[in-house]
Amino acid sequence: MFRNGVSKLVDNPSDDICPVCKSNRYLNPSLQFLINPECYHKMCSTCVDRIFTSGPAPCPVPHCGKTLRKRGFHKAFFADLAIEREVDVRKRVGAVFNRRHDEFETLLDWNNYLEEVEGLVFDIVEGDVKTRTIAEEKLRMYKEANKGVIEENTRVGLEEGELERRREKAEREAARQRRLAVLREEEEEKADMLKTRQSVLDRLANEDVDANTIAAQAQKIILKKTSARRALKDIPIQSNGSAMDAGLTIRGLKKKEAPAPEKPYDPFGGLDLTPARYVLQDHYENEWLGGAKKDTRHMAGGYSLQEYYARTMFEAFSGLGVFIEDEVTDRNQQPQAVVAPAVETAAAVQAAVSKTKFERNMELDDVF
Amino acid sequence: MKFNIGDLPVLFPYPRIYPEQYAYMCDLKKTLDAGGHCVLEMPSGTGKTVSLLSLIVAYQQYYPEHRKLIYCSRTMSEIEKALAELKALMKYREEQLGHKEEFRGLGLTSRKNLCLHPTVKREKSGAVVDARCRSLTAGFVKEKKSKGEDVPVCIYHDNLDLLEPHNLIPNGVWTLDGLMKYGEEHKQCPYFTSRRMMSFCNVIIYSYHYLLDPKIAERVSKELSKDCIVVFDEAHNIDNVCIESLSTDITEDSLRKATRGAQNLERKITEMKETDADKLKNEYAKLVEGLRDAEEAREEDAFMSNPALPDDLLKEAVPGNIRRAEHFVAFLKRFVEYLKTRMKVRQVISETPPSFLAHLKEYTFIEKKPLRFCAERLTSLVRTLELTNIEDYQALQEVATFATLVATYENGFLLILEPYESDTAEVPNPVLHFTCLDAAIAIKPVFDRFSSVIITSGTISPLEMYPKMLGFTTVVQESYSMTLARRSFLPMIVTRGSDQVAISSGFQVRNEPSVVRNYGNLLTEFSKLTPDGMVVFFPSYLYMESIISMWQGMGILDEVWKYKLILVETPDAQETSLALETYRTACCNGRGAILLCVARGKVSEGIDFDHQYGRTVLCIGVPFQYTESRILKARLEFLRETYRIRENDFLSFDAMRHAAQCLGRVLRGKDDYGIMVLADRRFLKKRNQLPKWIAQAILESEVNLSTDMAVGSAKKFLRGMAQPFKPKDQEGISTWSLRDLEKFKEKQEEESIRQLREGMADAVIGGRVTTEGNGHPPEEDAHEFDDDELEASMMELNDD
Ligand code: SF4
Ligand SMILES: [Zn+2]
Ligand SMILES: [Zn+2]
Repeated sequence: MFRNGVSKLVDNPSDDICPVCKSNRYLNPSLQFLINPECYHKMCSTCVDRIFTSGPAPCPVPHCGKTLRKRGFHKAFFADLAIEREVDVRKRVGAVFNRRHDEFETLLDWNNYLEEVEGLVFDIVEGDVKTRTIAEEKLRMYKEANKGVIEENTRVGLEEGELERRREKAEREAARQRRLAVLREEEEEKADMLKTRQSVLDRLANEDVDANTIAAQAQKIILKKTSARRALKDIPIQSNGSAMDAGLTIRGLKKKEAPAPEKPYDPFGGLDLTPARYVLQDHYENEWLGGAKKDTRHMAGGYSLQEYYARTMFEAFSGLGVFIEDEVTDRNQQPQAVVAPAVETAAAVQAAVSKTKFERNMELDDVF
Repeated sequence: MKFNIGDLPVLFPYPRIYPEQYAYMCDLKKTLDAGGHCVLEMPSGTGKTVSLLSLIVAYQQYYPEHRKLIYCSRTMSEIEKALAELKALMKYREEQLGHKEEFRGLGLTSRKNLCLHPTVKREKSGAVVDARCRSLTAGFVKEKKSKGEDVPVCIYHDNLDLLEPHNLIPNGVWTLDGLMKYGEEHKQCPYFTSRRMMSFCNVIIYSYHYLLDPKIAERVSKELSKDCIVVFDEAHNIDNVCIESLSTDITEDSLRKATRGAQNLERKITEMKETDADKLKNEYAKLVEGLRDAEEAREEDAFMSNPALPDDLLKEAVPGNIRRAEHFVAFLKRFVEYLKTRMKVRQVISETPPSFLAHLKEYTFIEKKPLRFCAERLTSLVRTLELTNIEDYQALQEVATFATLVATYENGFLLILEPYESDTAEVPNPVLHFTCLDAAIAIKPVFDRFSSVIITSGTISPLEMYPKMLGFTTVVQESYSMTLARRSFLPMIVTRGSDQVAISSGFQVRNEPSVVRNYGNLLTEFSKLTPDGMVVFFPSYLYMESIISMWQGMGILDEVWKYKLILVETPDAQETSLALETYRTACCNGRGAILLCVARGKVSEGIDFDHQYGRTVLCIGVPFQYTESRILKARLEFLRETYRIRENDFLSFDAMRHAAQCLGRVLRGKDDYGIMVLADRRFLKKRNQLPKWIAQAILESEVNLSTDMAVGSAKKFLRGMAQPFKPKDQEGISTWSLRDLEKFKEKQEEESIRQLREGMADAVIGGRVTTEGNGHPPEEDAHEFDDDELEASMMELNDD
C-alpha cells in the first residue's frame, strides 16, 4: 500500500509540491492547490493569499507574467491541468454550439456538425496562436449570427435537465418507499409469527387436542398469511411503478408534436368512388329523356335526372377492367398478398402491401 | 446396449443403464422435440454426461436436421472428461453400426492451453499469450509479410491457410491432447484449427465463456446456427458466471496504464500521419459510413474482444466527434482523467449508470452516445495503426469496454466506488466496481438465439430459481431421485453437540468456545470412525482460520492427529494442489487423512472424492455468502425489486447450493458410499432446499441429531456398508440390463394405456357432471380452499 504512494511520487513528483514556494504535501498534508483559468498555473492556497490578497498581481510562475486576480482562483477538478483547460474551453464552445440532433435532417449532417465543433475545440486547445485566434473568431461570429437559436436551445437544454432531475428524484423516492414497504412487511411478518406462536402455546396449554394437529394447523396458517401478504404487497408497488411512469410521460409530452386535427368521418373508409373510366357529364342528349326533363310529374317528387345518369353510367361501366383469370392466377401464386382490384384506392393498396411486408418480416425474424 | 426412446434408436455404450439415466434421456428427447429449454437435476455420479451425449448424438444422427451440439462446461478437466466420454461413445457406435459415421467432435480451450509456438506458449498469463498470438497472426502482419517485409509470424497459424478451410482436421473425436499431437505433427495451430472448424463439426465442447461472455461470444460463437442444441453442464453457478462476464473493476493502477496507452496511441497517430496518412484517411472514410462496414474485414481476432453492442448501433455511423483518430484519443484521455478524479473521493459511492453519465456530462461534456461506441472505435483504431504490442493497450481496452457498457445498459448495473480495501484500512486503495446485477443480461442472447438450451447439474435445486433469475421459460423441469439397491449414503443433520448445546456458524455464536468445542468433538469422533479420507468444509477462509487456531488451543487437533493426517486448503492454488496430492496418497495408505477446505473454494467445485478419497463429508456451518459486501447487497436489492426474490430466500438458496455441491463431492457413483454430515442448527429448516436425491435420503429420524447420536448412526451405516455387496444385487433395481429396460417400458405402456382408459371413463363421467353444472374436481378444490380459510379465520378468532 505504501508502494502506491511512492509510485505516485515517482510518476509525477510535481503533483505534491507547490511550484512557487516549494512546500510539500508530505510535510503539510493540508496543502491545497488552486489554479486560475487565465494561465492554469498551479500554486498553493497560501501563495495565492500571500500574493493576490492586495489586488491583481502578475503570475509568479517564471515566464508567465499574466495578471491574475484572487477571485479567479479555484480548485482544479482534474489532476491533469491540460484536461482542465480543455474542459473549460469545451464549456465555452458548448454554450455556443448547442445545436440538437433533431435540428438536423440526417444523421450524417449531425455527425459532420459534431466533427466540425470538435475540430474547433481542438484548434483552440492545441493549436498555435494563429489557429487559435482564427478559431476564436469563428466562435464569436457564430455566436453573433445565431443568438436566437442558441438561446432557445439553452432553454430547452435546461428544461430537459430539470425534468431529468425530477424523474431521478421520483425514482429514488419510489425505491425508498419500496424499501420501506419491504421492511415494514418483514416486521409485520415477524410480529405475526410471534403472535401465532403464542396462540399455539396457549392452545397447547389450555386445550386438550393433539399437539401435532395444532402445530400443523398453525404452520398452515402462517404459510397462508405469508402468501396473502405477498399478494397484497404486489399491489402498492405496482402503483408506485405507475407513479414513476407518470413522471416519464410528462417528459414524453414535451417532445411530442401537437396531434393532427381530426379529419371528418368518412363512411367509405377512404375508398374513392370517383369513376375512373368516364367523366360524368351534367347533361346527356337523349330524346327519350327529353320529355322527362320538363315533365313536372317527374320533378315534383324531387327526382333528379342526375341520379339517373350516375346510376346508368355506373352500371354500364361496372366490371370493366376486371379480369377474373388474372385475379385467380394472382391469388394462387401469392395467397397472402391481397389482390388489388382496379377500383381499389391507393391507400388500401398501401395498407395491403405493408401488411404483407410485415408478415415477411416476421418470417425473417423467425429464421434468425 | 441399444434401445429405443419413442422412434429414436439410442446406442448406449454400457451393458447396463441406470433407471434415472433412462428417465433423463426421455426428458431430454422431449425437450428437443418440443424445441424449448429445460432445467434438469441429475444426481451426481449417475453418468449424466454419458447419457446426455448418447442421446444427443443419437438424435443428431437419426433425424435429418443433424442439429449441432454445443456442450459447455466449466473447467478444463470437465471438458477433457466430456471429450473422452464422447470418444468412447463414438467408438462404441462404430462397433455396433459396423461403419464409421461422418462425425467430428472438437474441444476448444484458451490459447494458453493449446498454443504450440515455441516462445509464446511459455508465457505464464493467458492474456499475454492471447496478445502475443494476436500480434503474430493479425491480418496486416500477413500483408506485410507478403510484401516481403521481415515481420515475425507464427508458422503454425500460417500453415492453416494452405489447407482446405473446411477440412483442417479429419473426422473423428479429438481430445485436447489429440488435437495438440495432431497439430505438432502437421505443424498447424490447434487453437485456430479448432476455432475455424467450429462450423464444420457435430459436437463442440468448450467453456461457458465462449458462449456467455459477450466479449468472446461475439467472435467465437457467432456463426452457430439457431437449431444448435446448447448444453450447460454443471450449471448450478451459471448466474455468477453470467454476472462476472459483464462486470469490471477499475483501479488506480489500471487507469495509470490506460493513460500510458492513450499517450502511446497519440504518438503512433502522429507517426502514422507523417508516414502513412492514407491509412488514417481510409479509416476515417469508412467510419463515416458506419461501424459495420468498417468491420467488414473483421478478422477472426484483430484486437481484444468487445462487449456486445446492440445490433442497431453497429449499423449506425460513428458519432462525428470521435471519428477522427486524434479526437478519439483526446476523448479517451478526458474520460480516463475523469475516472481518476472520481477515484480520489474518500467515501463509498454507489450510483446507477444514468446518474454516472449525468455527472460525467456535467464535468467533461462527454455524451452518452460516443461513449457507447468507445470499444468498437478503439478496436478499429488499433487495427488501423497496426499495433503489434497489444498487451500495452489492455488497460485502455478495459476502460473502453467499461465506457461502452455503462452507456449501453441503464438497468441491471451499478457502479460502486470503494476507496478502502476494508473498513479498517487506513491507506486508500480505491476500486471502482462496475457490477452487473442481472444474470439474465448476459445469457439473454443465448436463449434468444438457440431454440434448445439445456441447463443441467448434479445440484441445481430449487429448480424454479434458475428460470426466474435468468429470465427464461422451460418445457421440462425435472429433478431425479437416485435409485439405490442399498442405502449407500447417509445424510444427517447434526444440530447440537453431545452436551445438547446447539451448534451453528451463525455470526453471534460462531466463536463461542462451547460451539467451537462441539464442532471439534464432531470432527474428532468422525475422524475416529471414518475409514480412509474425510473432507471438511467451512463457510469461509476467515472462519476456518479462526476455528483451526481455537482447536489448536483446545488440543483438538492433537487428538485428531492421532487418527488422521490433517491437510488444509489455502487460497494459493499451488499449495492446495500439493495438499491434495498428499491427501490422496494418505488415503491410499494407512489411516487416511482429513482435508479442511472452504465451501466456496476450488476444492468444493471441481474435485471429486470418490471411494476411499472421501468417506465422510462434514459441512461445518451453513456456507452463506459474506453479506456485508456492497456488491452482494446491491444484487440482493436488485433481485428483490426486479424478480421478487427475497434477500433471505436468495441467500439461503445460494448457501444451500454450495452445501449441496460439497455433499455431492463424496458420492461419485452407485457403488460408492459415504456419510454426509450437515452440522448446523439452521440446516434443519433448509433441508427441503437440498436436491431431491439428497433430501429424499434423509430419514426423519436423522434430521435433528446430537453428536453422539450421529456417531451411532454412522457406525451402524458403516457396518452395513462393510457387508459384501455384489453388482448382481443392484440388477433390476438400480441398474437395468436391456431386459429390465424392456420390462419397464412394457409396464409403462400398460400403465399409460390403463390411464388412457381411465381418463376416457373419467371424461365420460366428467362430461355428465359438467352438464349438470359444475365440474367435479374444481368443486373439490374450492371446497378445500374454503376449509382452510375457515380454519384460518377461526385461528384468528382464537388469537383475540
Ligand atoms: S497461432 Fe497458435 S501456435 Fe501460433 S502463437 Fe497463436 S496460438 Fe500459438
Ligand atoms: Zn506555495
Ligand atoms: Zn501563470
